Amino acid sequence: MIILENVHFAYDGIYTALQGVSLQIGDGERVAIMGTNGAGKTTLVKQLNGLLRPHRGRVFLDGVDTKRYSVAELAREIGLVMQNPDHQLFLDSVEKEILFGLKQLGFSSEDARVRCEKTLSNLGLEHLSERSPFTLSGGERKRVALASVLATEPRVLVLDEPTIGQDAKQKENLAQMLQDLNEKGRTVIVVTHDIEFVIENFPRTIAMANGTIVADGPTNSVLSNDDVIVRCSLTAPQLTIAARSIHSVFPEVPERLTLLSNLEGEIVRVLRGV
Amino acid sequence: MSFLEVFQYTRQDSIIHRLDPRAKLFMAIVSAIVSLIFLEILPLVIILVILIPLLVAAKSLKRWLRSMKGLSILLAFILVFNTLLSPAPNPLNHSIALTLRLIALMTSFSLFFLTVHPDELSQALIQMRVRFEFAFAMSMAMRYVPTLAQEAYAIMDAQKARGVELDKGNPLKRIRNIVPIIVPLIIVSIRRALSIAESMESRGFGASPHRTYLNRLSFKKRDWAVVFISLLILLMTIYIRLFIPLQVWSLPF
Amino acid sequence: MPLIEFQDFSFKYYGADFLALKKVNLTINEGEYVIITGPSGCGKTTLCRTINGLVPQFHRGYIAGNVIVDGMNTREHTVAEMATIAGLVFQQPENQLVTLNVEKEIAFGPENLGVDPVEVRRRVEELISLLDLEHLRDKHPHEMSGGEQQRVAIASTLALKPKILVADEPTSNLDPKSAELILDIISKLNKRDMTVILVEHRLDLVSKDASRIVLMDRGRIVADGSPREILVMDLCQEIGVGVPKATLVYKSLRKRGIDLESVPLTGEELANLVKEAA
Repeated sequence: MIILENVHFAYDGIYTALQGVSLQIGDGERVAIMGTNGAGKTTLVKQLNGLLRPHRGRVFLDGVDTKRYSVAELAREIGLVMQNPDHQLFLDSVEKEILFGLKQLGFSSEDARVRCEKTLSNLGLEHLSERSPFTLSGGERKRVALASVLATEPRVLVLDEPTIGQDAKQKENLAQMLQDLNEKGRTVIVVTHDIEFVIENFPRTIAMANGTIVADGPTNSVLSNDDVIVRCSLTAPQLTIAARSIHSVFPEVPERLTLLSNLEGEIVRVLRGV
Repeated sequence: MSFLEVFQYTRQDSIIHRLDPRAKLFMAIVSAIVSLIFLEILPLVIILVILIPLLVAAKSLKRWLRSMKGLSILLAFILVFNTLLSPAPNPLNHSIALTLRLIALMTSFSLFFLTVHPDELSQALIQMRVRFEFAFAMSMAMRYVPTLAQEAYAIMDAQKARGVELDKGNPLKRIRNIVPIIVPLIIVSIRRALSIAESMESRGFGASPHRTYLNRLSFKKRDWAVVFISLLILLMTIYIRLFIPLQVWSLPF
Repeated sequence: MPLIEFQDFSFKYYGADFLALKKVNLTINEGEYVIITGPSGCGKTTLCRTINGLVPQFHRGYIAGNVIVDGMNTREHTVAEMATIAGLVFQQPENQLVTLNVEKEIAFGPENLGVDPVEVRRRVEELISLLDLEHLRDKHPHEMSGGEQQRVAIASTLALKPKILVADEPTSNLDPKSAELILDIISKLNKRDMTVILVEHRLDLVSKDASRIVLMDRGRIVADGSPREILVMDLCQEIGVGVPKATLVYKSLRKRGIDLESVPLTGEELANLVKEAA
C-alpha cells in the first residue's frame, strides 16, 4: 500500500512541481498516471522510490514513512523503469546487465542466476543473452532494461513512458506482460501519454495538471470527462468522440464510452433497432 | 566554484557589450600583458583602477565583487604562503604584488567573457580565419553542455533506482561506481552525435567552401579607438619598463 | 514524371545481417501526402533516409537499384545537393537544434550552402512568421519545449526551400497536444503544395489528412493505397500496425453484417456514418 499525504516538491527549491498531492494505491492495483508535460507525473513517481523526497508532506510504504529508507532499500520494493533504456545499460552482455541489477540488491549468486534465466525466458530474450545491449534495436534495449528491473521481482513496478516509439505489436506484448505481472499480485503503475494504451489496460487513471491531481478514478469516467481532457492537455479518444456525437441523436447510447466492444454493441443495437 | 561566475556571459546591454569581440580580445590580451610586465604594487593598482570602471561600464561590478569574495580565501592563502616562503627581499610586497597580478589577470579576461556571447566569439574566430568547423565545434559544445548535464543526472537517477549507491563506500568502491554512470553517458553521447551529424549533413554542413553568415561582425570607429588606445598603453608600458626605473613603493614594514 | 521513384531498390547497412530494404518499387508524385508505416524494423526509417541521400552517401552499405528524386539519382549526388529538394525532419528535436538560438538555426542550412546573407535574413524572417516562432527568437534550445523545438527544426529544414518534406516519426517524443500541432503544420504545408512523406505510428491522428498509406514489413512494401482502402485490410493488424479505433469498429460491424456507407478514420466520421445509416 502506497500513500502520499499532501506532498509538496519544488526543484532547486524554486520550481514547484508538486503542490499538495495526496493519493493511495493499494497492492495489486493497475494505475495509469496521465497529464501534460510538466504536470508533475515523473516527479510524483520519483517520490515513490526515494529519488526525490517531499519538501512537505509524507510518503508511506506499508505504513512506514519512506524517509526511513534509502533509495537502494526502496529499490527492492519499488522497481522504476525509466523512459530511456540507454540511461542504464552499460555492461557487455544482456545477461550481465540483468545479473547486475540482482547483485546490487543483494541477491546471492545462485539466486541471481536462477532469476536471470527465468526473466530471460519470460521476456523472450534468451537468444540475445550473450549479445551486447548496445548492438540491439531500440525496442530490444527497452526489453532488456525492463528485464533488469523485473528480475528483482519488486512488489511495485513503475514504468515511465513505456510505449514511446513502440509499434502496435510491441505495445500488445507489453500489455500482456503487465497483465501477467498484475495477476501474480504486483502493483503496476504507468506514466504515459498514450490514452488508448491506458483505456485498454488500466482500470484506474490519475490525471494531473500543474502539480496537482485533477481526477483520480475509473479510467472510463476520468478519460471521457471533457474538463479533465482539456486541463490535462489530452486528446479525447476517438471512440468517446464518436459516442458523444451518436448520443446527441440517440440518447440511449451512453456518451461516456471508451471501450471498443461497448461502443460496437451500442451501435449494433441502435442500427438493428431502427 | 562561484568564482567562475565572472567568466560567464550575461545578456545585457552596455557600451562594453556592444564593442566588437575582437577589439575586446585585443584589450584583454594587452591588459594581461601589462599585468605580467609589472611586479610592483603601484602599477598593478593603477591597472586595476583602470579595469574597475570598465567593469562598471559593463554593468558587472556586483558579479566581480561576488567572485572576488568567493576567491578571497584562496587569495589570502597565496598572500600568506608567499610572504612566509618568498626569497625576495621584501616578501610582503612581493606577495601583495602577486595577488594583485592574479586579480588583474582574472579581471582582464573576465571583461571579455562577461561581455562576449558564445556566438559572437565563434563569429569572431571565424572572421579571424579560424576554420569554420573548429569554431562551430566550440559553440556546439557549449550548446550541448546543459543537455549533457541533464543526461548525466538522468543516468544517475536510473542507476540509483537499480540500487547503485553513488555516495557510499570506500574511495575504491566509489570510483568503481562511476562506471555505470560514465559508460551510458559516453554511449548516449555517441548516439546523439550520430543523430546530430545526420541532421547537419541533411542541411548541407560542410558542402560549400564559401559559407556565408547571417550576422557578420564589423569594426566600428569605437572599436578602432579601443584597439588604438590599448596599443598605446602597451607601448607606453614597455617603454616605462625598459627605460624608467620605478620607485619601489614598499609598505613601511 | 514522378517526383520520387524507387527502382528495384535494395540496401544493407555495413555490418548488418539483413537487408534493410528489399527490392523496393515506389513512385510518389508532386503534392502527395504519403504515410509510411509498419512494425519496428520494417525499413521505414531507412526509406526516409534514401530520399535525401543520407542513404547511401552518409550511411554506407551494399546497394542495388536506384532512387531518383526530382530527376536526380541519389547514388550520384551529395546530400548537400539533395538538401534543396528534400528536407528531412527527425524524431529527436534536441538533436536537430545545433546552434544557440532560433535565428541562427534557421539560417544554418542556407548559410551552409553559401546563400547571400540578405536572402538568408529574408528567409529567417519569413519562417519565423510562418511557424509562429517570434516569441522564441532568442531562446536557447534548452529553454524550449519539445513541441517548440520540433517547430524550429521544421523551420530550419524549410529554410532550404525543399519541394519534399520527409518526417521520420517527428511526434514520437512529444505530448499529444504538441503532436497535433506539428501534424497540423505538416498538413498545412501539404495544402500549400509541399510533397510530404511522413513516418508515423499514430494513424488515428494522421490518416484523415493523408492521400496515401504505404505499408512496409521487413524491408518490403506490402500494401499501398488510400488510407480507407489500406486500413480495413486484415494485413494491418497481422503485421502489427495501429489501426484507428473508429476503423476497427467499422470492420467489426461489417463482420456482423452491418455495412456503413464508407470507411471512417475518426470518431466524428464514425458517428456521422452511424447517424446516416439509421
